[in-house]
Amino acid sequence: MRRIESLIDTNAADYKANYAAMSERLKEFHARQHAARFERPQRDIDRLERQNKLGVRERLKLLLDPGTPFLEFSTLAACREYDGTVPGAAVVTGIGIVQGREVAIHANDASVKGGAWYPHTVKKVVRLLDVALENRLPVVHICDSAGGFLPLQHGVFPDRYLGGRVFRNQVKLSQANIPQIAVVGGHCTAGGAYVPTLSDYNIIIEGTGAIFLGGPPLVKAATGEDVGVQELGGAVMHTSVSGTGDYRAATEQHAFSLAREIVSQWKRTPKTIIETASYEEPYYEPKELYGIIPKDRKTQFDMREVLARIVDGSRFHEYQPDYGTTMICGYAHIWGYKVGILANNGVLFNDSSLKAAHFIQLCNQNRTPLVFFQNITGYMVGREYEERGIAKDGAKMLMAQGGSVVPKFTVIANASYGAGNYGMCGRAWDARTLFMWPQAEIGVMGADQAANTMADVKIRQLQREGKELSEEEIAAIRDPVLEKFRRDVEAYTSTSELWDDGILDPADTRNALGMSISASLNAPIDDPHYGIFRL
Amino acid sequence: MQRIFQIDGEETECWLGHDGSRFVLNTPNGTVACQLDPTGLPGGYTLRAKGVVRELRLAVGPEATFVHMNGRTYEVGRVDPAERLAGSDGGTGDDRLVAPMPGVVVSVAVKPGDTVKEGQPLLVIESMKLETTLTAPRDGVVAEMPFAEGDSFGLKDILAQLAPEEE
Amino acid sequence: MTISKLLVANRGEIAARVLRTAKARGLATAVLSHVAEQEGPAHLIADEIVMIEGPTPVAAYLDIPQIVEAAKKIGADAVHPGYGFLSENAAFVAALEEAGVTFIGPTSETIDLMGDKVRARAFVEEHGFPVAPSAIEDDDPASFVERARTVGYPLLIKPSAGGGGKGMRIVREDSTLETEIETARREGVRYFGDGRLFVECYIERPRHIEVQVMGDGQGNVVHFWERECSIQRRFQKIIEETPSPALTPEQRDEICETAAGIARAVKYRGAGTVEFIYAQDGAFYFLEMNTRLQVEHPVTELVTGFDLVAEQLRVAAGEGLSAAQADIPQTGHSIELRICAEDATADFRPAIGDILLLDEPMGEGIRVDSGILDGGKVTTDFDPMLSKLIVHGPDRAQAIARARNAVQNYVILGVTTNTGYLDEILAHPDFASGDVSTGFLAEQSETLTAPGEDVSDLLMAAAALSDERLVSDVMQIPEMYRKMGGWRN
Repeated sequence: MRRIESLIDTNAADYKANYAAMSERLKEFHARQHAARFERPQRDIDRLERQNKLGVRERLKLLLDPGTPFLEFSTLAACREYDGTVPGAAVVTGIGIVQGREVAIHANDASVKGGAWYPHTVKKVVRLLDVALENRLPVVHICDSAGGFLPLQHGVFPDRYLGGRVFRNQVKLSQANIPQIAVVGGHCTAGGAYVPTLSDYNIIIEGTGAIFLGGPPLVKAATGEDVGVQELGGAVMHTSVSGTGDYRAATEQHAFSLAREIVSQWKRTPKTIIETASYEEPYYEPKELYGIIPKDRKTQFDMREVLARIVDGSRFHEYQPDYGTTMICGYAHIWGYKVGILANNGVLFNDSSLKAAHFIQLCNQNRTPLVFFQNITGYMVGREYEERGIAKDGAKMLMAQGGSVVPKFTVIANASYGAGNYGMCGRAWDARTLFMWPQAEIGVMGADQAANTMADVKIRQLQREGKELSEEEIAAIRDPVLEKFRRDVEAYTSTSELWDDGILDPADTRNALGMSISASLNAPIDDPHYGIFRL
Repeated sequence: MQRIFQIDGEETECWLGHDGSRFVLNTPNGTVACQLDPTGLPGGYTLRAKGVVRELRLAVGPEATFVHMNGRTYEVGRVDPAERLAGSDGGTGDDRLVAPMPGVVVSVAVKPGDTVKEGQPLLVIESMKLETTLTAPRDGVVAEMPFAEGDSFGLKDILAQLAPEEE
Repeated sequence: MTISKLLVANRGEIAARVLRTAKARGLATAVLSHVAEQEGPAHLIADEIVMIEGPTPVAAYLDIPQIVEAAKKIGADAVHPGYGFLSENAAFVAALEEAGVTFIGPTSETIDLMGDKVRARAFVEEHGFPVAPSAIEDDDPASFVERARTVGYPLLIKPSAGGGGKGMRIVREDSTLETEIETARREGVRYFGDGRLFVECYIERPRHIEVQVMGDGQGNVVHFWERECSIQRRFQKIIEETPSPALTPEQRDEICETAAGIARAVKYRGAGTVEFIYAQDGAFYFLEMNTRLQVEHPVTELVTGFDLVAEQLRVAAGEGLSAAQADIPQTGHSIELRICAEDATADFRPAIGDILLLDEPMGEGIRVDSGILDGGKVTTDFDPMLSKLIVHGPDRAQAIARARNAVQNYVILGVTTNTGYLDEILAHPDFASGDVSTGFLAEQSETLTAPGEDVSDLLMAAAALSDERLVSDVMQIPEMYRKMGGWRN
């Protein structure tokens, strides 16, 4: 495969300005992430210590193989909800390595509201279990939760993808012969009691871990029975009397070493074989991405320069290099795994849509996973293009993409507007993982266009009513709308709402994709089949 | 993966990694890239680490590794921290012996105030035509032996109680 | 009398060493073994292995009737006792004599005489040889304390029946004399079942010098020069050498002739060693006579070129001495290191373990008398000495250099040994200059056991990389994840 020849001049003024702007953004992103992970009110830290519990990060450290990566999902989930008081949505999820195996991890963060389930907590956990199901990843649950957050129970409990879905997914995992283990390092009350009980294995930490449908206060209220936590659902009772618990651990360290031992007992299912090559670091420095991504999103840039800083050896075999040039298609390797890449270099036209549809079919035929790099403002509009059938060509691309059997991965590198989001495997299209870069935006259209459209409607309405508006009055109408839209399309809004699996530092994209691809190969790849292509 | 190494009575917890081209031992004082290649002599190896190359002879015992290097012999104890934890018993012993089923006390071996060792017989019971010896769940002092020889007891009755452990 | 079949009533390195010479002389050979014993080099050399029984392996080797019976049963006409065990046991010699089996060693009378420190000393003194000022309790128990006082301070209290340093006490002030005598008596009773004592003047910073003698039992005696054995830990030798760096040629002749004279006085038969205490001013006094082959005899063999076991067998067979005094040279320098399973940093606590890897040094001027085999087990059943490393060089400096090189390359893995400690002694400047006394190791204990260069990172790396389970656990992690290391997004 040929190396991409980069044309980037790292001494150029615009490169440096871009680099500075991205560095600033990343500083903010990393600061936010650090706060979400570690900054807690003192009383919460004190409480954990008093309860003799380790924090969730220490627990992960005990669980995971030392010197191996952890791909954490949605680190800033709920960052724009609940006045920012529920960092990370009170739960840590991700893919980690235990005894050399990839496992999905769901760990309550008891330093946030006692690990209570908020609506976004449930969304994050359900997403993690969906990842486990799609990729056939064993799951380690680390349970330490106060239970559902009652004031928001409607957002936690009743709907199809809310609380019940957690347990439903556990059942589906088990049915699919995907093992699960729960380490009970705190209370598992009411619904929470089903997490360990639906797991194949569970370990209860003596003193801190407990499982019951109703805790002591509820029991007292319901039946008048006076009973302590340990008698009602402690480690000794469950492991020796009820059989609800399998193992009791003397300490957290003991619990996690038991968990590791249990994981090592599981049968290793051979992974799906795809084309691989020996791995090679990118020839171009990944951090140069900071200077390539324009600080003004409207500035066009060559996505090949981005690919050159992500794929193995910066090597890329481009398909149809001279046709439909706003859509870059081609093969590359990421951490040795052969992938088919679709990357936007402009708006989608008829030819670029057809090229994409064809290339996607090639990859399905070859069992080559697909990676989408989005920088898309949409499909081209206008009479010319409608006449050429842009809608049906777009539909072909959707049919091919949506009907793919190979695993798909999406990076929203910059813009993700309108139907372009769909064609390029947006959230609704079952990407195994979907990450956003911090400056990226997502929406039906750009904030300016949306604000202008809405403001114009309002202004025209007022004008029809005979009102003459001054510049200031127009601005007073437009500006708040613009401000709201700008905020709504930001990556932080998306990530807060779990429309993605997290914001990534662009330089981390290669590793995140490598782990995602490797994890996806735990699941088999079906034979290619499609719906009807409108020809 | 972790190991606790013991040299001259000092314990160091380390973990070993491999970055694809070489092994890296991670110690509390930093990382040591290292490589060990056999020389062909029995137990003979060349060790490359910390910028030095050493010829050494080495033998791996069940609990310790013996190394002959620079004319000296060293013993390096090896402990898998997980095994140490697993050996530390599945949780602290209970204070009480609870009847696993109803039955009759055949004999009582200790009285309140006695100091007992973990595993020491406390009493023998008979249930379902089988005699079972119940033993102390941990080291401690007997607080109560509520049943005497010949007494009947029910499911979950407390057959022996140890004094709480002092913190 | 002729000897055609020899039973070695010993084990370990000395059994192997004796067997080698016996086989070389064309004798049929047999060696004892206990069921609890590990296979050793002697078992590979001997034509026959005779199993002995006993509540402990040591008890079996001390069981006179059983061993005499064994010798008769296999038709051995001679028994070599080695050192230790029954080598200086007059009853054993008598029992063999009665059974018509030749004992390779002196007569039971000589053993009896020299085995009693007090009688031996009196004998030597009577014959005009130097003994340290002393007082013997048995001479007149009532006046013992008074007579002890006249010896002067510092003085040394010793149990009459003792040996190996046990029960010995140094007294420097008159005020403590009587309590120390009582303590020594209790220890004597405890260790030897005999509370009788004697005192002698205590020589400050003494050296231990001994002389190898060989007699034909008819009054003809030659010496094979001296050995210096001042490097002792807990009163036991661990490094011996010859010639002694302390002696002038005149002193050497004097001390060697003295030893030969003592041996002549008892019409000594076979190999023996006369031990002297040597004061810094050049005075020397008779200490005791060992009526057997010594552990450290190989250094004498290397400088004289004589095989002392062969000499023993000649004498026992009535063939007499093979050489006149003038024909016994002292060429070059030889050093012996006793390789012991013990922890020099923990007060020489005996160590046990499995020998996982054994690679003994070889080469010019290097001799290893080993009692162990690769794969063997070191237990507490026997003495912790595993083997002896003996080197020979043209001069002392070259012998030391050769000894250091050899001991550094003596690979015994699986059980703690003193090889590193021995090397530290050889490296010590006072050892190099020869300025040592029997207190040297105790005085220098901190220097000699000081921790060396910190190589713990190297050791841990070696231990980690040779831990197959650890390595396989690590390599089970897919390569990509190992390369990513502890990456976090």
